[in-house]
Amino acid sequence: MIECPSCGRRQQPLLICPDCGSPLAAPLDCFAALGMPRKLTIDLGALERRYHELSRKLHPDRFASSAARVRDASLRATATLTRSYRTLRDPVARGLYWLELIGEKLSENNKRVPPELAELVFEVQEQLAGMHDAPADSDAARELAAQVAQRRGQLQATMDASLADLELNFVKWDQRSDEKMLTLRLKAILSSIAYLRTLIRDVDRALENSKAA
Amino acid sequence: MSRIFGIDLGTTNSLIAAMEDGAPRVIAMGANHRALLPSVVAIAPDGAITVGERAIEMEPHLTVERDGRVSAVGFAGGEYGAVIRSVKRYMGLGGDEIAPEDRARYTFADLSGPVVRFQIGKRVFTPSQISAEILRALKHGAERALRAAGNDEKVERVVITVPAYFNDGQRQATKDAGRLAGLEVVRLVNEPTAASLAYGLNTRAAGNVAVFDFGGGTFDISILSIKQGIFEVLATNGDTHLGGDDIDRVIVQWLLAEIPDPLKLDRHVWNSARMAAEDAKQRLTDVAQTPVVVELPGHSIRKHLTRDALERMAEPFLARTLKRCELAVADAKLTPADIDAVVLVGGSTRMPLVRQRVAAMFHKEPLCSIDPDQIVALGAAVQASVLMGMQGDMLLLDVVPLSLGIETMGGVMERLIHRNTTIPTSVAEGFTTAVDNQTHVDIHVLQGERELAKDCRSLARFKLGPIQPQPAGVPRIEVTFLIDANGILNVNARDERTGREHSVDVKPSYGLTDDEIERMLEEAVDLGEQDLEERLLISYRNDAEQILGALRKQLGEFGPLVDNRERARMDEVAERLEAARIGTDRELIAKLVEELNEVTTPFAERIMDAAIKLALEKKSVEDLS
Repeated sequence: MIECPSCGRRQQPLLICPDCGSPLAAPLDCFAALGMPRKLTIDLGALERRYHELSRKLHPDRFASSAARVRDASLRATATLTRSYRTLRDPVARGLYWLELIGEKLSENNKRVPPELAELVFEVQEQLAGMHDAPADSDAARELAAQVAQRRGQLQATMDASLADLELNFVKWDQRSDEKMLTLRLKAILSSIAYLRTLIRDVDRALENSKAA
Repeated sequence: MSRIFGIDLGTTNSLIAAMEDGAPRVIAMGANHRALLPSVVAIAPDGAITVGERAIEMEPHLTVERDGRVSAVGFAGGEYGAVIRSVKRYMGLGGDEIAPEDRARYTFADLSGPVVRFQIGKRVFTPSQISAEILRALKHGAERALRAAGNDEKVERVVITVPAYFNDGQRQATKDAGRLAGLEVVRLVNEPTAASLAYGLNTRAAGNVAVFDFGGGTFDISILSIKQGIFEVLATNGDTHLGGDDIDRVIVQWLLAEIPDPLKLDRHVWNSARMAAEDAKQRLTDVAQTPVVVELPGHSIRKHLTRDALERMAEPFLARTLKRCELAVADAKLTPADIDAVVLVGGSTRMPLVRQRVAAMFHKEPLCSIDPDQIVALGAAVQASVLMGMQGDMLLLDVVPLSLGIETMGGVMERLIHRNTTIPTSVAEGFTTAVDNQTHVDIHVLQGERELAKDCRSLARFKLGPIQPQPAGVPRIEVTFLIDANGILNVNARDERTGREHSVDVKPSYGLTDDEIERMLEEAVDLGEQDLEERLLISYRNDAEQILGALRKQLGEFGPLVDNRERARMDEVAERLEAARIGTDRELIAKLVEELNEVTTPFAERIMDAAIKLALEKKSVEDLS
């Protein structure tokens, strides 16, 4: 139960007081904050409409002349709302958050290369190291940069495939087939995506540097 | 509840605006009824402060005397008093962040501290204090203008705009300035976002808007999505040290190319050249070429600047702005073709080349029907009315421009809140101890996009604790980093076991502490009184000027109506008033104004009679015809 900063009545944890409409700084999970069904597949249009509707009611701009405690509740409620929206809107963030909700949080220190990516990762890192060591503005450096640029396309294609795979598994999860299997699959896909993201960032940075040199 | 006013605290000019009959209007002020108050603050050796046009006259420069001699005038800095322009460039900077060329322009006190301090005579001023003088001038100017229109309203609550790309320290410094000026800063709003409100673009059903804001000292690009009155910023990018000033500097270097170095760095010479450069740049918006003249002692520089040459000088800076645009559009996950409207903001967008390039980049003609110098203040007034609950469903959802994180093992920056995240937003992070019986955890908060902590900007350091002595890893403290709607960070900590709130003593890496602000506020009270004195003096001087002017005019027209004895008496009082008017004794001025009024009353009555007679005669003549 939480006390409303405006009317003082005790309320269930919500973002808006059902009695007086004041914002409530309740700690809520992302789905509850936005009033969305707890499912991995999400109607993004409905999500955005819900977000805008709640923002209109909760945003600190609506309470600029209110008492300090109401202003503070508005600030915290809006922070919860925006964070929830951001998490649910992005499929990768949503998937990671889901794992957290079911107590299967993906370890942040997971440095193991996903097996299906091992070969690709090894080659790209080899080339990046080569680029780093090659004398700037040499033919060798340019040759390597061209190879890495080509790899960039391959990485992006793998990333796109992983994202499609992720959405597919969201659908399966919501149909409640084999939960245990799906959790493992979800974790595998999400750690591949995390790995690919880092790699693509490294590649982009190396290419940017070689362009600048 | 009093109105909330919108203030554009600009690098070059500042403005104040408010809603009137449902539309935003800038408030014209001062003797010449101008909306733009130059963001220039002159501080005399005795500490007297002047803001705006009159401060510009006190800038060190060279002037040609009546006899043709060129002499140096103005406050040259340090013990001679100083004139500070573009103070916004120094907001939120630490002493160690001052560029060498700035040191040639101003005298600074102690450059090792967390805040830049200008040294003027025996006194020091922080950028927030200087900006507070500009805010105070706007407040008083607006109040005077309102009073002249029969409205006794006070300016107390304001929205102040800041560049979207301002970091936490720069925002905090701006808020401090408001507080020092005795204003309640209800909200800081990003300039490009404010500008998007001014065009009333919410009347369109939906669309993506790019706001290109190229001012005197800063550049911002913001990409917004507008849907049913919700203005949602998708991405922002910019450079807080890129503006028209940079182009002026290149012109100055070209103007002074043949002048020996020590003379080039002379504050009088440099400023005279800068004034000539600025003028020439503005003229070239309308003409293809223009002469530029700088008078030096015993020598004058006479050159010709063409628009082509100016554009070549501006090109590198413009290229940097366009690069930022590309990044912002990509961050918004859009392409330039997805942009439905482009809004131009800032004086530098008057350059034809800027307009052409922006049009080419976004494949459409930018909107420019609203004066680019006024649009931000107008938008701030619209946002002020949103905050007063007078704009229905309209709502601004802005973003934080730079990522926020903490320093972790090995000096790596760990991002907790990513740039372009909608604000307000918060993130909670768990902390624990690394060794047994550790009683404090040190946390270093950073802002920036680089990998290593040392390459990011230090925001603050704080100590969590005291923590009960326990084995390593046992204490669990949850720290919440919350960025409010102003884009400013708030931190609080909670012990997860006891649920007890920890006090967090955040020591900002740059900027002023609360104690320092308190002390400055006390000083400001004195300055406020001085300000009142000065205002009274000015109003008495104006009265004197008015009566003397009227008398001269009447004597010219109706001189024969005055006898010699009367005339001598009038001349005597008028002469004494002339002398008193230049001085600072306002009581004396007031007394003489009254005296002059008295001695001229019979004369004024006779004039009235004569005027009526003349009018009647004229009327009868007309009647006859």
